[in-house]
Amino acid sequence: MKPPADRGSLALGAYVYAVLAFIIVPLVIVIPMSFSQNDYLAFPPSGFTLKWYSEYFDSRQWRAATWLSVQVALLTALCASVIGTAATYAMIRGRSRLVTAFQILLIGPIIVPHIALAVGLYLFFQTIGLSGTIPGFVLAHTVLTLPFVVFTMAAALAKVDANLEAAAMSCGATRFQAFRLVTLPLVLPSLASSALFAFIISFDEPVVSFFLSGVRQKTLPRRMFEDIEQNLTPVIPAIATLLIVLSILILLGAHVLRSRSVTR
Amino acid sequence: MNIASATQSASGASIRISRLEKRFGAVSAVDGVDIDIAAGEFIALLGPSGSGKTTILMSVAGFEFPTSGSIHVDSEDVTYVPSNRRNLGMVFQNYTLFPHMSILDNVAFPLKMRGLRAAERHARAEAALATVRLAGYGHRRPNELSGGQQQRVALARAIVYQPRVLLMDEPLSALDKNLREDMQLEIKRLHAELGITVIFVTHDQSEALTMADRIAVLKDGKIQQIGPARQLYERPTNLFTAGFIGEMNFVGVTVESVGDNVSVTLPWGETWRLPATAAVEPVAAGEAAVLAVRPERLQLGAGSGGQVITVTLSDIVYAGAALLLIGRLPDGTEMRARIPGASQLCALAPGDVASFTVPVEAMLLYRGSRR
Repeated sequence: MKPPADRGSLALGAYVYAVLAFIIVPLVIVIPMSFSQNDYLAFPPSGFTLKWYSEYFDSRQWRAATWLSVQVALLTALCASVIGTAATYAMIRGRSRLVTAFQILLIGPIIVPHIALAVGLYLFFQTIGLSGTIPGFVLAHTVLTLPFVVFTMAAALAKVDANLEAAAMSCGATRFQAFRLVTLPLVLPSLASSALFAFIISFDEPVVSFFLSGVRQKTLPRRMFEDIEQNLTPVIPAIATLLIVLSILILLGAHVLRSRSVTR
Repeated sequence: MNIASATQSASGASIRISRLEKRFGAVSAVDGVDIDIAAGEFIALLGPSGSGKTTILMSVAGFEFPTSGSIHVDSEDVTYVPSNRRNLGMVFQNYTLFPHMSILDNVAFPLKMRGLRAAERHARAEAALATVRLAGYGHRRPNELSGGQQQRVALARAIVYQPRVLLMDEPLSALDKNLREDMQLEIKRLHAELGITVIFVTHDQSEALTMADRIAVLKDGKIQQIGPARQLYERPTNLFTAGFIGEMNFVGVTVESVGDNVSVTLPWGETWRLPATAAVEPVAAGEAAVLAVRPERLQLGAGSGGQVITVTLSDIVYAGAALLLIGRLPDGTEMRARIPGASQLCALAPGDVASFTVPVEAMLLYRGSRR
């Protein structure tokens, strides 16, 4: 005997599958288009070629944009994870009454529209000469990625007993040694995972990069927008496909790291 | 290397806590505490939560700096010395082993901080593990050990560098009852073996009474009484300690006259004459006072050498070695009696009226009124 069909759960199931389909469809469209023989973006694609991939890898402009994005993303990952971890540590262990204000400031970039942040940064960086420079991109992206680091590290640090550091200090460790030898190893997987997140967010961040890019210093997303305006060839889906693969690898890496920290 | 040579050179340090005060904003967590601890002494800080016992310990450990007052270890002023330079051993309530290190590395950690080489570190850590009867557990991880074993590892880590003082913050409260009793003996044995000075924080009075040479009873950041277990139990110096340590019956009375004897009127109108030594605190004629007596000092039946009370029994509880009788005095005050040798008492039932003799020497008289 079967249990009676529940219309509510049927509807919910249908809804969930619709959402999943909605998320997956763009990927299903983009990936075949990157192998299309047409010189313009078209769906359904026809034929099969790898020439758009070779065009991307052969182009000096594409390579320059990619290299800039990689540099910016690496430095952003470094800055955001170091600053974010230190700030989160202060928030979790600190006794200051400013903690709430501090928290709002750190999380702020998630709430403030990126376009508002971009305009502000553009005007400010223009005056002090940081516009279109690597330090400029890194500063801006660090601000944008800090909330993600703070969320990840807050969850990780909250799980580490503060008395562990006290125990280390009673054993003769300085406060910094206690952090480095006890707390840091325990949150390292989360730290690595938040650095990966910062990397991927910075790497395909379009809005702020759009404003901060100069004539020569263009990040990959900015370069892609230009190409869409001017050419609209299947190089774009080819790059998009590469980015999807990169993102999936990074997310998998982050997942592995976090599950390792859980089992400990 | 045997255990003795690993631990022999350690001996206790004396500790002097003077006029210690710690305020958090408007709240005084510790309010003018003086404790002199002799070298090698085992002292327990006992009190309800919020009594300031942990704050005192944390000040000695260097995790809290007092608002005023001083702490001397062997005449060296350590009041504001950071915790990592105090060379004290510390055991926390929740084991606090480093989960990413092996047991051996955990125990060797203090030696690593002191710059010892790996070979010597490990040899001494092994010896310390043997001292807490965990030899051979070095390669395991903390999460592979039971709670009791973890706490013994924490103990080994605290003594491995032969500190002269061992601080323990409710180290047994996370363990179940049987383990707790084992660990109490273990800690006592270590104390005797090492000659180390121990400050032990607990809210469990039986733990304090069985383990410590002296007990400091704390309430609201102040010391209520400090002394050996017997003194605390048999002649508590104030009402708080009287009620906090062990079971105690209290009866509100009025003082009639004070002299060679103290006369008091009981709530039901009877007047008793007590020896002057019964008055723990000075009392004055005409004032309210509280008469206290331990339940196990009551004798069943009307006898001589004391005053006789009549109690209407409400509960009779068989408690193994003794029978607990709970009832009310004529004025309604609750009275408990613990009578050993239960067999002869089976005739009693709830609702019966029983007579008890209160020996004169068991009576303690305090100023003030109870509740």
